[in-house]
Amino acid sequence: MSATGLAAAAVRAPFTGRARRELLFCLLGVPFIVFLPLAGFFATALLAAHAHGTPWAGRGNPSALAIAAAAAVAVLLTVLLVTTGAARGLAAAPRWLAGRLLGCQVVAPPPPRQARGVLATLEARLRDGPGWRAVAYLLLKVPVALLGGYAAGVFWAAGLVNLTFPFWWLEFRNHPASVRLSPVPVVTPFDWIGQGHFQVTTFPGTFAAFAAGAGMLLTAPWATRAVAVADGWLIQRLLGPGPLAQRLRDLERTRALAVDDAAARLRRLERDLHDGAQIRLATLAMNLGMAKKKLGDHGDVTDAEAARELVSAALQGAKDALGELRELARGIHPPVLDNGLADALATLAASNAIPAELTVSVPVRPTPAIETIAYFCAAELLANAAKHSQANKIKIDVTERAGVLVVRIADDGRGGADPAAGSGLSGLRQRVAVVDGSLDIVSPPGGPTQVTVELPLRA
Amino acid sequence: MRIVIAEDAALFRAGLARLLEDDGHQVCAAVADGDELLAAAAEYKPDVVIADIRMPPTYTDEGLRAALELRRTRPETAVLVLSQYIETRYADSLLGGSPAGVGYLLKDRVADVTEFTDAVSRVAAGGTALDREVVGQLLAASRHADGLRALTARERDVLALMAEGRSNTGVAAALVLTLGTVEKHVASIFGKLGLPASESDNRRVLAVLRYLEP
Repeated sequence: MSATGLAAAAVRAPFTGRARRELLFCLLGVPFIVFLPLAGFFATALLAAHAHGTPWAGRGNPSALAIAAAAAVAVLLTVLLVTTGAARGLAAAPRWLAGRLLGCQVVAPPPPRQARGVLATLEARLRDGPGWRAVAYLLLKVPVALLGGYAAGVFWAAGLVNLTFPFWWLEFRNHPASVRLSPVPVVTPFDWIGQGHFQVTTFPGTFAAFAAGAGMLLTAPWATRAVAVADGWLIQRLLGPGPLAQRLRDLERTRALAVDDAAARLRRLERDLHDGAQIRLATLAMNLGMAKKKLGDHGDVTDAEAARELVSAALQGAKDALGELRELARGIHPPVLDNGLADALATLAASNAIPAELTVSVPVRPTPAIETIAYFCAAELLANAAKHSQANKIKIDVTERAGVLVVRIADDGRGGADPAAGSGLSGLRQRVAVVDGSLDIVSPPGGPTQVTVELPLRA
Repeated sequence: MRIVIAEDAALFRAGLARLLEDDGHQVCAAVADGDELLAAAAEYKPDVVIADIRMPPTYTDEGLRAALELRRTRPETAVLVLSQYIETRYADSLLGGSPAGVGYLLKDRVADVTEFTDAVSRVAAGGTALDREVVGQLLAASRHADGLRALTARERDVLALMAEGRSNTGVAAALVLTLGTVEKHVASIFGKLGLPASESDNRRVLAVLRYLEP
């Protein structure tokens, strides 16, 4: 991106929908700052008072006993939060907000295990991992929400207020010279309660406040974004369905993809056979049938010209059908792949429309399934590049790193490949995900494009 | 005969048109999908339409649906459906109670030119042309397995050819038998299966198919 482009993006940033949604997310976090500590404090105080008289009735520091009681109550409260499911309930709000406002979709964890009997239920609830993680989130939410409130209040609100200084100054401060009014404090991130060094006393000073406001508004989206991103990360880590449940979910999803993919490929194969080789062979048989009839059972041929023409049409049909079947068979499994990925990719690179340079250094041979996936990824990416990239040169790099097969395909074309737009790239990504692989695309508009496919050596 | 062809594979369509024209028929139109078939049938009022089952836009059964529509709206038009697969369900809906003027053949059968043109003529004359695959499936799934077991191997061959829609002459030609022998076999089959003897080929096919219905 050029320097002017960057500057334009920076100026536009405060006005984007994303900035607005992140600001709203930070604002809606503010109640947590107030509500959580307050509720904790009152509940602790109430319970401790109930247990030990009035611990803070006297003056001075609380007694050791009172501190111990409060600590015990705090622990009890936490346990209560988990066992009653209140923590899960409280955590639902930020998870929902993150989904709506940050586009950070986190699936709710599965419900706690059901058990029979009071003790068993209590035990099940105490072992409720998602509940404990929700408590951890709620504890962390307080400082994060504080930061969010700070970013919203100081950067956005105070920034806006500072912008207004030059507009009202002359209306309100047109007092006679003899009257001395106290200076107006300006709120900035360095001086956030407005009692520091930045104060406006004269009209020209208001422009400094205006400049400060503009600067604050330009940085405001980044401040709220930092908080929102951090909160989103916490929500993903702590309010999702735990690593095992998440893994299960991923496996279910990729299995469904694999099954769909296999079914779709069989359907495509049937369709290709039906519309290709099969109808060609039927036509060829028909042509031969007609030729046979023209040739007759014995004796002279009345219409030799027509018979000849039919036979040569049939011959052409047979050749076409053969070619089509060969392509189809290669599409199912290229025979050269049995010799290894290096040979197969070399054949692929040699027949590619754009000159391709290939380096392969894989000391350990991956399993056949992985080789096949790697091969078809490379084939599809090369075909994509030939179709869309307008590149002059392609580099294919296959290496192995710590049990991971890395296929890197880079071209010097015009870039702009978007996995969200083209179904080809997202389809590849799905196929790679089935074996826990990944596909990464870097393709800025104007190029170049680099696609990195990572696959485990064995599926 | 005046014929309309509907087939989406251009090469096969052209070959089929040529085959029929060589046989002395007039191909009024050769179209590529079901809607065009209905339009052409309405325009040219052909004696026979020959339709592929799987055609654009959905590549499922639009040819069959167009054929059924024709059977309903223009029962005087004979319909011969061609396909690369045989589906008994399609055969059922196509026959729909009456096998008069209906055919359902594998595309492969076109290679035996004389047999194919015979089938076209038979269907055009109000007869039946069922692929031997369909008949084979019907025989295999028949609820009258006991009755069929009572037939000799030769009689089973004759029954299958009758179910395909062939006349006694056609059966005789296919099995290289004399007409008299075929007539004897037919009489024996009808006796063993308890079917009413019938003079007309059509009613005979109907009786046989009813008998074979699963």
